[in-house]
Amino acid sequence: MTDELAGLTEQAVREIADAKDAATLDAVRVRYVGRKDGVLTNRVKGLATLPSAERPAAGAALNRAKSEVEAALAERERALRDSSLEARLGGDALDLTLPGRPVRLGRLHPISRTIGEISRIFLGMGFESVEGPEIEWDYYNFEALNIPKGHPARDKFNTLWASNPLGDDPARAMLFRTHTSPMQIRIMEERKPPIRVIVPGRCYRFEATDATHESIFFQYEGLAIDEKLAMSDLKGVLYSFARQLFGGERKVRFRPDYFPFTEPSAEIAFDCFVCDGTGTKDAARCPTCWGSGWIEAAGCGMVHPEALRRVGYDPNRYQGFAFGGGVDRLAGLLTNTPDIRLFHANDLRYLESV
Amino acid sequence: MPTIRVPLAWLREYVDARGSADEIARGLHMSGTEVDRIERPGGGWEHVWVGRIASLEKHPNADKLQLATVDYGEGRRKTVVTGATNIVAGDVVPYAEVGAKLRDGHGDGWITLEPKKMRGIMSEGMVCSAKELALGEDHEGILILDRTLTVGRPLADALGDPVLVIELQPNRPDCMGIVGIARELAAVQRTALKEPRVAKLRQDLDHGLLEVRIEDEDGCHRFGAAYLDNVTIGPSPRWMQDRLVQAGMRPIHNAVDITNYVMLELGQPLHAYDAERLKGNTLVARRARAGESLKTLDGVERILAPDVLVIADAERSLGIAGILGGEDSEIRPGTTKIALECASFEPRGIDRTAAKLGLSQQSAASARFRLTLSADLVPQALARAAELLVEHAGARIVGAVDVYPAPRPKPNVRLQFSDIPRVLGVEIPREDSLDALSRLGFQYAESGDILVVTPPAIRTDISIPEDIVEEVARIVGYDRIPVRIPDGPLPLHERHPLEALREQVRDRLVGFGLQETVSYSLIDPAWLARLSADGSPIAPEPMRVQNPTSAAQSAARPTLRPSLLDTAARNLKHRAGVAIFEIAPIYLPRRDDLPDERWTICVLLAGRADHQTWLTQPRDWDRWDVKGILGGMAEAIGAGMFSGPFADAPGMHPGRSRTQLHNGVPALMMGQLDPRVAQRWDLPAETYIGEVDLASLLDVVRPRLAKIPPRFPAALRDLAFVVDEAVAYGDLLAELRAAAKDLLESIALLDVYRGPQVATGKKSFALRLVLRSLTATLTDAEVEKVTSRIEGRVLHKLGGTIRG
Repeated sequence: MTDELAGLTEQAVREIADAKDAATLDAVRVRYVGRKDGVLTNRVKGLATLPSAERPAAGAALNRAKSEVEAALAERERALRDSSLEARLGGDALDLTLPGRPVRLGRLHPISRTIGEISRIFLGMGFESVEGPEIEWDYYNFEALNIPKGHPARDKFNTLWASNPLGDDPARAMLFRTHTSPMQIRIMEERKPPIRVIVPGRCYRFEATDATHESIFFQYEGLAIDEKLAMSDLKGVLYSFARQLFGGERKVRFRPDYFPFTEPSAEIAFDCFVCDGTGTKDAARCPTCWGSGWIEAAGCGMVHPEALRRVGYDPNRYQGFAFGGGVDRLAGLLTNTPDIRLFHANDLRYLESV
Repeated sequence: MPTIRVPLAWLREYVDARGSADEIARGLHMSGTEVDRIERPGGGWEHVWVGRIASLEKHPNADKLQLATVDYGEGRRKTVVTGATNIVAGDVVPYAEVGAKLRDGHGDGWITLEPKKMRGIMSEGMVCSAKELALGEDHEGILILDRTLTVGRPLADALGDPVLVIELQPNRPDCMGIVGIARELAAVQRTALKEPRVAKLRQDLDHGLLEVRIEDEDGCHRFGAAYLDNVTIGPSPRWMQDRLVQAGMRPIHNAVDITNYVMLELGQPLHAYDAERLKGNTLVARRARAGESLKTLDGVERILAPDVLVIADAERSLGIAGILGGEDSEIRPGTTKIALECASFEPRGIDRTAAKLGLSQQSAASARFRLTLSADLVPQALARAAELLVEHAGARIVGAVDVYPAPRPKPNVRLQFSDIPRVLGVEIPREDSLDALSRLGFQYAESGDILVVTPPAIRTDISIPEDIVEEVARIVGYDRIPVRIPDGPLPLHERHPLEALREQVRDRLVGFGLQETVSYSLIDPAWLARLSADGSPIAPEPMRVQNPTSAAQSAARPTLRPSLLDTAARNLKHRAGVAIFEIAPIYLPRRDDLPDERWTICVLLAGRADHQTWLTQPRDWDRWDVKGILGGMAEAIGAGMFSGPFADAPGMHPGRSRTQLHNGVPALMMGQLDPRVAQRWDLPAETYIGEVDLASLLDVVRPRLAKIPPRFPAALRDLAFVVDEAVAYGDLLAELRAAAKDLLESIALLDVYRGPQVATGKKSFALRLVLRSLTATLTDAEVEKVTSRIEGRVLHKLGGTIRG
């Protein structure tokens, strides 16, 4: 490039940089690279007059100069546009504290959210969620679970008896299931081991209601049968469940209990979330755990050999565990709801808060 | 469940129990004996002991303070700083160590004791006032205790005896007596059991004085009796009365108190008769005779059914066996000769009778007899009661008789040691297992891996190897069971499309801004008569509860509608609008079978939908919202159309609602609630409801097909169709689709117009048609062809015209 061309280019770039607005910039553009009479444009046109030996070098130098000028033009144009936009944006400021456009929020009921949570956790441990009838035969609710008529364990299950408007069969009593355990029998009747199921569902008892008891409530039942499931597996599954549901915060307790359809039997409890396991709330007996500091979360045990035999399983070959607990209590724990009667009251002010 | 009250001091008579009431309760609880609560005066007194002021001196830096050195047993001594002036060295006082929780002596709150420096001297704990122990309001001085109290005992044990309230499991009748609880505690704490020792009664009773017979051997297994004379009826000793009261029974007189005392002690009920009132000097266990009646101790004259087991004399029944005595043979103040009955009954029979008489819970005797009590308790309890009558009623034992026609064999349970890890999932050392069993009084013989166990006679609950495993586990402690995640074969899961669909629907409706509700599935049947203007049913006659807790929960709902109406009405009392849904089964009775439990979705919209804000105008829910929500839900889950015909929707606004059937089942109902029904529920006239049968919905869900974005542009045509009022939009839609075939991609209804621009009795639908071919760009001529085909078809089929 000749010095002269270099000087020209430099001057053009300087003028571009000095252009304060789009009109000035446009004038600079026309002066140097305008299609009709731009200084550089004319030089390109003049190339033809050069001797052929000089043409390639001069052409290349001109092209470089032209690109340099055009790049500077584009750059300056963008800068001018941005700064004018920026100036305008300053005037477009909003009051950012104004509320946004409202959306309608729907929420799941704590009970169904908790059932979903329970099912998901057990699903992760290989348990499939199934459901069964709420109105049941006495056989499945009691007889098949080693609780024949007159068995004192029936006292634990104050039963609501059902009556069919199309006629009752006196030989076959129908009831509102007092627990989800009848599904243990139905599942075993239908399937062969290995079995791992979780059964959430509504249950019924003839019971006075208070902050921790409802006559209509929800339970979750678990059943696992194979050839070598032991009590340690039961403990592991329930401890894992507790940890996944509540994190490591809650203490867990495992102690002997009695159920006619499991042997050995156990109870799993969490320390009370209302009084933090102290049993005392505001210097009085904690109304949620009745002062014990513990909330019984599930009854459980190894499926009784007699129950296995009744469904045609060989108790010498198959064994496993079952557990059943209250959904309402867990929902209470998860939502800090101290009175489970709130669940069925359906006061939207409460439901929208949890 | 049976509940028994165990006064701690009484319990300690049979076992050298270590620790406070709380520690004892914990030990019992964690080994399977459920302690519901501990009742005691003053609440919890953990870390509070009976102490003695060993020495007392002046505080070197304060005139009004003293330094008391307290001895609280086992060589434990602490120095406390006190401002009290009512104590002298040698006084026995309550001493609270650091960590004790006490009432604040100067306020209403509670404090937990910490070591505290007072005027340069560290005070470790406190000697307490009555107020600090929550025994009263007195904070004037330290509570001075009886000097005979044992220094070092927990205060709770020394002052007012705590009572353990125990909920028993029905398989443990052996724990229905305090000795049974003591046996458990002895096993848990590895300490000695001190059963009351009584001499066996001589079985030499003269038949002329008293003859005992069992006529119903199925109902009565064992019948023991003792004959005592020289009895003086009077009050029982003070300590016995106190214990009865603590255990929840009312003292009456020595004879009855003693039978109750022995029942509480051993778990075996007894009954005392005035021997001189027994006709024919006979006691017999037999079935009631036809037409027989009896005036029981509760003053009620009862007709006895023939399957009722009674205790009778030679002529008449004296009492209902195991449940309630009769008035005639009752002990009276002048009674001098007593026949004591102690028997073993068949529990199911007792249960049936008690239930029939409504006495299952009220009678302490029947609460025990309903469980399988050991027959071995009969001679033991009889001898114990006779002994106490000698001691406390001046009685003389004349003789006894024991009728036990078919003695129960002692069951042996045979198992393998390997059953223990098989069931528990952990190896328990053989010596630990055997130690646990012998602590519980089980006898055993072992040979290699085989273990043969003989449970003590009182343990009627032990019969299978798993029972033995549980006994071992609960004594070594469930804490020994490790935590393991099952590693066995995983079953192959099945999918549950109905449940999956339900979850999808739930999530969609919540996403549309509706609140989910869960309401009682048992409802007031009166609600069902309020669902239509004329009271006629909208659902089948419901399943009923035979023994409802209240009328409000006495029918299994055959429709979700009333539950949602009720929820809406209650909430609209304090808010302007509701948008709620519930997904739950309804119960439809079937002949000779369980009811059909059909999962149903019910949606209710009423009142204010959108509130006024600076961006939005207020708007109420209207009839098109419910259709939009259900339609959006159906589209979201990929549901197609129901196939069945339409029908009227009972209980709904006749012109603004309908039901669609699918395979003969009402699958979809939506529209506006009959305003007359709305009025009955205190709801706005404009209340909208949608109901969907979930199984039917599942039937029309189709798998999604991927749609490849079209490569060719669409042609838009806005057309206005003028039709008669009678022509429904749906009819027009059907004709448009039929005419345009697969070139019609979508239709939007822009406007429905009635007015001067169209003739009277006509209306105009303004539509935007999107036409597109998947194989080529449509030419103007092709679009023209389609629109003229549409025009021709609408004219021909519906008499409609396109407005220019």
